[in-house]
Amino acid sequence: MNKCIDTEIQELLPDLIHESLDGNERRRVEAHLATCESCQEDLDVLRTVKSAAVFAPTIDTDRVVRQIPPYRMIVPGVEPPQRTRMVSWLVAAVVALAIVGGGTMLISNQSRTPTSVASSVAIDSQLQAPVFVTTPDSVVPVRIGSPAAATPTLALASSADVSSLSDGDLQQLMNDMDEFDALPAAEPEPVIAVDSGDSI
Amino acid sequence: MTPSPEIRPEETDMELITRWKAGDGRAATRLVGRHSQALARFAASAGEREGIEELVQDTFVRAFASLDSFRGESSLRTWLFTIERRLMLDRRRAERRSRETVPVQESDQVSEYGALDGLIAEEAQERVRRSLDALSPTQREVFTLRVQQGLSYKEIAEVVGSTEGAARVHYHNAIQTVKEFLRDE
Repeated sequence: MNKCIDTEIQELLPDLIHESLDGNERRRVEAHLATCESCQEDLDVLRTVKSAAVFAPTIDTDRVVRQIPPYRMIVPGVEPPQRTRMVSWLVAAVVALAIVGGGTMLISNQSRTPTSVASSVAIDSQLQAPVFVTTPDSVVPVRIGSPAAATPTLALASSADVSSLSDGDLQQLMNDMDEFDALPAAEPEPVIAVDSGDSI
Repeated sequence: MTPSPEIRPEETDMELITRWKAGDGRAATRLVGRHSQALARFAASAGEREGIEELVQDTFVRAFASLDSFRGESSLRTWLFTIERRLMLDRRRAERRSRETVPVQESDQVSEYGALDGLIAEEAQERVRRSLDALSPTQREVFTLRVQQGLSYKEIAEVVGSTEGAARVHYHNAIQTVKEFLRDE
């Protein structure tokens, strides 16, 4: 048996068994079938497949209908689900950004604060509690570092300390300062080289 | 409230959908009755062996829940086949996943074949079923939609998410395979 090369007719065969061809097409297909064994065999196969449809259970229509929810019309512009979800995501993103940003700033401030306190304390201690260096003859207070460089920070740090002192405390502080032989000069002094005297 | 007029047998799917949206529950019954058996046959032909009723039910529930997205550009039945096919694919994926985690027992296989024997009584049905099993999943879908459901190639392409040309090729390959299978039996 020769294989048919008329693919158009072959493709119309299912429509013939479903009786969905119009008059002209049906006559054309039937005329072809009268002379084509290959297409006749195809048609037999199609009829077999259609009639021997694989078993399918009978569907309980009422049971299916009971599961169908009532119709709820979607009014355009009123709570479109996609937009609501988008807004929710945006709100979540803004909140997350605020938390992350705020947290970063907080951590940054925390890490900066101890440093500034430490530096001002260090500078304070440099001025208020000079380092005493013991030489063979006497005890000499020695300033380490440049007071000029530390002045801006010092002013802020000292003002806080001074304002918290009472008048009596201030007077006591002034008196104590008068007793020092070496006070910070207006101009920065060169760092005093401490020498035990052995090298001279 | 004025009761809705009786549903005429010749009312189209679109007319029934409009009725249902207006609150006429009988329209849903008519639509389900009109298409449920075709959906069941398609599922069975596509290789579903169990839970076909649930599958058809889920198809209708999904379809009715999203009827606003149905524009009527294709027939309702084509649209329903599309939904049902997606559900079948989801189900197969889930089964594949569960099979990966839970090994199939020998007793399961025996019971499956037993159920199948009960389902297919006629010898002709058995031969057709085996010939369809020889097809690839897509070929089987295209072939059964064309031969058993009478869908056009354009509608089939819509259901299987392919092109009309590809649907034609699948049909030609499928009929050759089925013909050879039945000839050799």
